[in-house]
This record gives sequence, structure tokens and C-alpha cells, in this order.
Amino acid sequence: MDSSSDEALDIIITNVVATFRTRCHLNLRTIALEGTNVIYKPEVGKVLMKLRKPTITASIWSSGKIICTGATSEDDAKLGARRLARCLQKLGFKVKFSAFRVVNVLAVCSMPFAIHLIDFTKNNRPIASYEPELHPAVTYRIKNLKATFQVFSTGSLTVTGPNVQAVATAVEQVYPLLFEVRKPLCK
Amino acid sequence: MSSRVCQTCGGSDIDVDQARGSAVCTGCGSVLEDNIIVSEVQFVEGSGGVSSTVGQFVSADGPAKAPLLGSGFHVSVGKESRAQTLQSGKRQIQQLGSQLQLNQHCLDTAFNFFKLVVSKHLTRGRKMEHVIAACLYLVCRTEGTPHMLLDLSDLLQVNVYILGKTFLLLARELCINAPAIDPCLYIPRFAHMLEFGVKTHEVSMTALRLVQRMKRDWMHMGRRPSGLCGAALLVAARMHKFRRSVKDVIGVVKVCQTTLRKRLTEFEDTPTSQLTIDEFMRVDLEQECDPPSFTAGQHKAKMQQLEQELARKLDEVEGEISCYKDEIESELEKSRPKLSGIYAAYSKEISQSTPAPEDEDVLSTTSEPEEMDSEDADLQAATQHLTQDFLCQVIQEEEGHGKKTDEGFCEQEAEPETEGPRAFLPPLSVILGKLPSAASLGLQTFSESEASTKPSDEPPESGELNLEGIDDQEIEKYILNDKEVRVKTELWMKQNEEYLKEQKEKEDRINKEKEEGTYKEKKKKYKKREQIEASTVGEAIEKMLERKKISSKINYDVLKDLNGSTGGSSPLTPDLPSGTPTQKRLSRRRRKTSETKPDFSTSTIIMRKRFRCLISATPKKKALPQAEHATLPAAEAKEPEAELSPDAIPDLGSASTVAPPPIEEEEDEVEEECVSALQLVGDYGCEEEEVF
Repeated sequence: MDSSSDEALDIIITNVVATFRTRCHLNLRTIALEGTNVIYKPEVGKVLMKLRKPTITASIWSSGKIICTGATSEDDAKLGARRLARCLQKLGFKVKFSAFRVVNVLAVCSMPFAIHLIDFTKNNRPIASYEPELHPAVTYRIKNLKATFQVFSTGSLTVTGPNVQAVATAVEQVYPLLFEVRKPLCK
Repeated sequence: MSSRVCQTCGGSDIDVDQARGSAVCTGCGSVLEDNIIVSEVQFVEGSGGVSSTVGQFVSADGPAKAPLLGSGFHVSVGKESRAQTLQSGKRQIQQLGSQLQLNQHCLDTAFNFFKLVVSKHLTRGRKMEHVIAACLYLVCRTEGTPHMLLDLSDLLQVNVYILGKTFLLLARELCINAPAIDPCLYIPRFAHMLEFGVKTHEVSMTALRLVQRMKRDWMHMGRRPSGLCGAALLVAARMHKFRRSVKDVIGVVKVCQTTLRKRLTEFEDTPTSQLTIDEFMRVDLEQECDPPSFTAGQHKAKMQQLEQELARKLDEVEGEISCYKDEIESELEKSRPKLSGIYAAYSKEISQSTPAPEDEDVLSTTSEPEEMDSEDADLQAATQHLTQDFLCQVIQEEEGHGKKTDEGFCEQEAEPETEGPRAFLPPLSVILGKLPSAASLGLQTFSESEASTKPSDEPPESGELNLEGIDDQEIEKYILNDKEVRVKTELWMKQNEEYLKEQKEKEDRINKEKEEGTYKEKKKKYKKREQIEASTVGEAIEKMLERKKISSKINYDVLKDLNGSTGGSSPLTPDLPSGTPTQKRLSRRRRKTSETKPDFSTSTIIMRKRFRCLISATPKKKALPQAEHATLPAAEAKEPEAELSPDAIPDLGSASTVAPPPIEEEEDEVEEECVSALQLVGDYGCEEEEVF
């Protein structure tokens, strides 16, 4: 996909957040008392349930809305969500699996060169924002893809976007901009 | 004015005489205008021949002082608020700015930013302090003054990141691209604070050079500029034989010790640090370094690689050592002295158990027995075999050295068996990797992984749960059995007693109220606006006011007096015969305000304010008169509407999403009402301005 570089850039997805609905009311107390690996938070009104495989942490609300975080791929997220629904089914609730949607994907990527942040900001005002007093990285937002980048001077970046495809496209888009402000490493 | 046409003759040549204040047509001589209001500056000669201007300068920011006579207070209820905001903002800016020692030009610029911010409604929901601070910092950045966000946060005692957030938002909204911070800007300021006396300038120069060198070595990327400055100043001071300690510098520069030391270390790593002072002042090295965090990352990667290699090499060495150990053991066996008494019994026991496959039992009973209830025998045998070898050899190597001479060898053998797995896990885990951890910790996980299936394909989109690829057995493990449930319930109940008590009390309270009939169900607030349903006019007003927030800038007392002085229910019972239509209009007004779109904002603002005045002024009023009037509605309403519609339709062309006819009628009412309200109330002079 990276036509502008010789070697492929490794985009590693570190977190996928997804939500789905069970379309039925859930009794949090039952889940809290009869499930393993659950944490009940009555002040907020939700139950945290952790699955081991795939490693997923789910926030379960009594309305039937569930948010799953911690998966490393979209498929994993879906599998984990289904596992979770199956678990709830076994606890006795009439769950249905509906409205599954991946909400956020976080990925990290490392460029083989260092980046001159000040020049990068100058070239890309006002989309890029750099405040060294507050945060060591430049924040670059792509509006139409709804993706946000954090670019560090060492060449590593973190990307967040609505899905994996958007993230990949966003990295491709930003690569040439980074390439022109690179600093060739001497070692 | 200049292109006016004379009504009499049609000529366009009109002579305007400013002195007389008249406009006369030169064609026919007819006077078009008399008493023109003159807006020129006039001069008057005062005593002693001094000429001065007539009149006052009025500030463009609105009536700041001395409201006009009589009707003055209500000059513009809306504008007054804005003017007040700007005034207080200006005051705060002056205050804060003088503490920072900013010059007047900067303060004026900051005030201009503030005006922009207020006009864009960005002050809503934010503390005034934060907004002011952000405006000031914006000015500092654009002017390039050596003020840090930290200084502002120190003065205000606010978290610097909160100020930063506000600052970033304002910069984005106002489209102001502040140039990046240059550490060189701060050097003179900090040098001055460090009191170098006469040599301040020289030290500054040296420090500047150092900072520039650091910039070229990529040390400033992503770091706070004050840290760099601190390091540079420290070195420069030492170079010029000033004794400034780290503590002095960090007090001035506002970073912590660790940061300063880190910067110094990083600078030390660059080749420039190897130069002598004179060389540094003269020569500039060409080579640039990599950013320090990058080198640190690479260093870490290298260390990891080295560790892996070491681990591999250790394995090989292990193999060699084990051979030697075997030989030595056999030799020692032969030459061991015969023991009597207790030790004999021990040695017999152990020598019996060591070679047998029940070794695992010994291990398991001494170490973690509970994990040994797994089903997989093969794994166990393998682990047992491995532990047998490695345990004996490696542990003996570590712990046996000191003990060899003291106690008997039989005891040594006993110890590794017993203590081996436990004390042993940390060092082994590094060398051997996963095997001992699997043996001692969770063989369950092994069995689980074997039993599980691979992830499935994408199931079709439906409400039903696709059970492909989900292993029920595994899921069962996530659910506790009855006994466990009971235990957990007990624990949980104990833990959350307080909360449960609260919940119970709440329920009791609700039940009691239900019985008494005073229970008010609290509906959840939805973002979509609901229609106000009220049986009486008064109710409707109340409900609407509940929803819309009443402004804090209206002085209700005065309004109360106003309404009170003109007698009880003055606005509602006007002199005009259109009393009842007014009532109906009121009711319709209310409906309108609840449905209205922002297009009619000005008129609704008027309405809203009037309502508030009315409501606040007339709490004691009974709903009865209003109710009566409100019931008049439909029939009589039609008549005035009919007359109004032809007039008003051309005025208000825009229609909202509601059906045009009703809206137009309502709009007409609005316009109509504005005029009549003026007559009614008399002193709402402001409405004139607002309507237009």
C-alpha cells in the first residue's frame, strides 16, 4: 500500500472499541453476582466484565448497551462481543446481538526517520497544532476521514480513526507530508 | 443625502448648508429639510484664548457610563449585559496584564481578542479567568514576549493544562496562528533573574549560543523550552565562573531537578560537549545529532537484543555445566560419608522419591498443589522431566555453594526439591522462559487453549446471536456455580451495605409519596424539545421559564416596581380596547416562543424578557384572570389575525418548518405586539432598537 516507501510501514493496531446492543434489559446485580471477572460499579450504574480470550473489557449497562474495548482487530472485537453475548445468554437473559459497530481504532506506526516538528507545523497550519509546553507531539487532524494523528519527533505516530480502513488511508495521506520534513538519521 | 431628488421640480441639485442646517433645492428653491442634525466637531473659545471642542467622546463599546435620563436604565437590556461583560473583561485584563508587566499596546490587543471572543460566544461555559488568561497568552505569543503559560497559571493558581486547552480552542476559533516558541526568547529574562550583575549580557550570549547548538542537535523537539534554557544558563554561568547551583536555576526556570539533569546529560552525549570553552565560542560543529529520545529508544532495542542473545548463550552453557554436574555428582556419591541417625532416614526417603515419576507429587505438595489438578498427563510428565534436570543443577549452582560445606549433601538434595519451585521461579523464568511458569502457575490455561476453537467467519447481520466459534464450555467457566454465587452474594452485600440502604430509603420514600399522592415523577430530560402542554396561560409561562434560563443580569426589583406602580396587572389590562386580544396574543406568544426558530431571535428575546418581567413581577397574581382571558382565544383571535395578515405577510417572508399560515399569523402578532406593547408599557424604549 505504501507506494512512496521502499519497505512497508508497519501499522500496528493496539486498540479497537466497539459497541452493540442486546435489545433487552439486563439485571446488573445478577451479572455481578453470578459472573466471574466482573466489577460492579453501582454509582455509575454499570458492570465491567473482562474476557480472557480475546482480551476484552466490556462495560455493560442495564439498558442493554455494551461497549467493548481492548481488542486488537475488528474481527477480534466482534468475536469477543459475541462471546460476551453468549455468556449473558447463559446467565438467563434473552439477549439479541444487534447494532454491532466499531467506534474507534487506535494504531501506532513508526517512521524510519526523525521528524522536524516545527517545520511540519509551519507547513500545515492550521490543521497541525504544536504546543511544546503542553504536549510533546504535534496534533494533526484530517477532517474528512475523521482521523487524528499525534506525531512525535522520533518518527513514531499514533493514529485514531473510526475504522481500520480509515486509519490506513490516513497514514498514506500523511506520509508524504512527513517525508518532506524528515531528518536523516546519522546512526 | 447628496443624491436626493426634489419633490417639487424633480431636480437633483440640492444645496445642504451645514451652518444653517437646511437643505434647499437650487432649481425651484423649495426647502427640503430644516434643522438637519449636524455631526461636525465644533470649537469654542474658552478663557485665555484656549479653544476646545464642544461635546464628549462617547466610547464605541456602548453606553459605559451615565445612562440617559428617566428611561435610562432600560436603554438596552441586552446590550447592557454585553457592555458589562466587556467592561469587566477589560478590567481583568488590565489587572492581570500589569502583573505580567505587559505594555499598553499588548493589553489593548488582548482586549480586542477578548471582544472577538465574546462576539463569537466562546465565553459561554468557560470561566472568565481562563478566557482572559488565554487572550493574554495569545498576545504574548503573537508579540513574542518572554511570558510562559506557566507564569499565567501561577498567577491564577489554575492547572496549566486547563489554560492550555482554552488557549488552543481560542487560537483555533479566532484563526490565529501563533508562531512556535523559541527558547532563545526566554534567555534574557531568566539571565536577568539570575543576577549576573555586569556580565549578564555576556552570559546571555553564551547561553544563546548553547541553545542554538542544542536546537541543531535536536534536543528541543517536543520539550518545554524552559528546561533547555535552564540547562544552557547553568552551563553558561559555570563557563563565566559564576556559581549558580541547580536549585537556583530551577527556582527561576520552573522545571524540576530531574528534568534539568536529564537535559545536561543529553547535552553531555553530544559531540559539542567535548569541546573546550574557547573552541566552543569559535567553532560550530557541522554534524547534527539524532533526537535524544530516539537514541534512547534505539539503545533500549539494542539492550533487548543483547539480553536475548545472552539467554541463548546461557542455555548452551547450561548444557555443558549439566554434564559436568552429573559427573561430579556421581563422584561425590561414591565418596560420601555414611550418615547415621535422622539423616539416614531422610536420605532414604529422598533417594526413593527422587528418581520415581511421583516426583511431581513431591513437587506439587511442596509447591503449589492446587494447580496440579489438571487433566493433561503428558504435560506434567514433560515438566517433571525438565524440572528434575534443571532444578537440581541450576539451583545447586546458585544456592548450593555456601551450603555444600556446612550441611550434608542429602539435605542439599532435599532443599532444591522443596524450595526449588518457589524460590526458584524468578531466576529460572528468565533463563528457561515459559516452562516453569506453565508448570507452577496455570496448566489450566493450557487445557483451555487446547479445547478452544478457532475464531469464526463473519456471521450474518441479524438480531440473533450467531454461535459459531463460541465454545460453550469455555463460556461456562465464566459463570460461577451455586455455592460460589452464594459466597459472592454474601461478600457483595456486606461490601455494599451503605449503598443498598440508601436505595431502600429512596424506594420507601417514593412509595410513601405515591400513597400520599404527592409523588412527582422525574422525567428524564431529552434533548428534543417537548411541546408545552398547559391548561392555563400561567402554567404555560411557568413551564417555559423553567426550561429557559433566566438571565442574571436583569434587575427584577425595578421591573417589579414598574409593573406594581402602574397598578396590579398593568401590562395585561391596558387602556386599549384590545385587552382581550392581548391576552390571546400572550398565550399565542408563549406557544410561539416554544416552537420558534432562531430566525426570529430578536423578537423572541424581547418576548422572553417581557415574560420574565411579567412573571417575576406578578407571582401573587392569580391564574384566574389569565385563565379567563385565555379561554377567549380562537374565535376572537381570528378577527385581528385576518386584518394583520395582509400587512405582515410581506414583512415576514421567511417561513419556518411549521405550516406557513399559522406561523405567519403568529409572526404578524409579534410585529403587531411590538408596537402595541410600546404604547402599553411606555418606557420600554429599548424595544425600538431591538426590533430593527
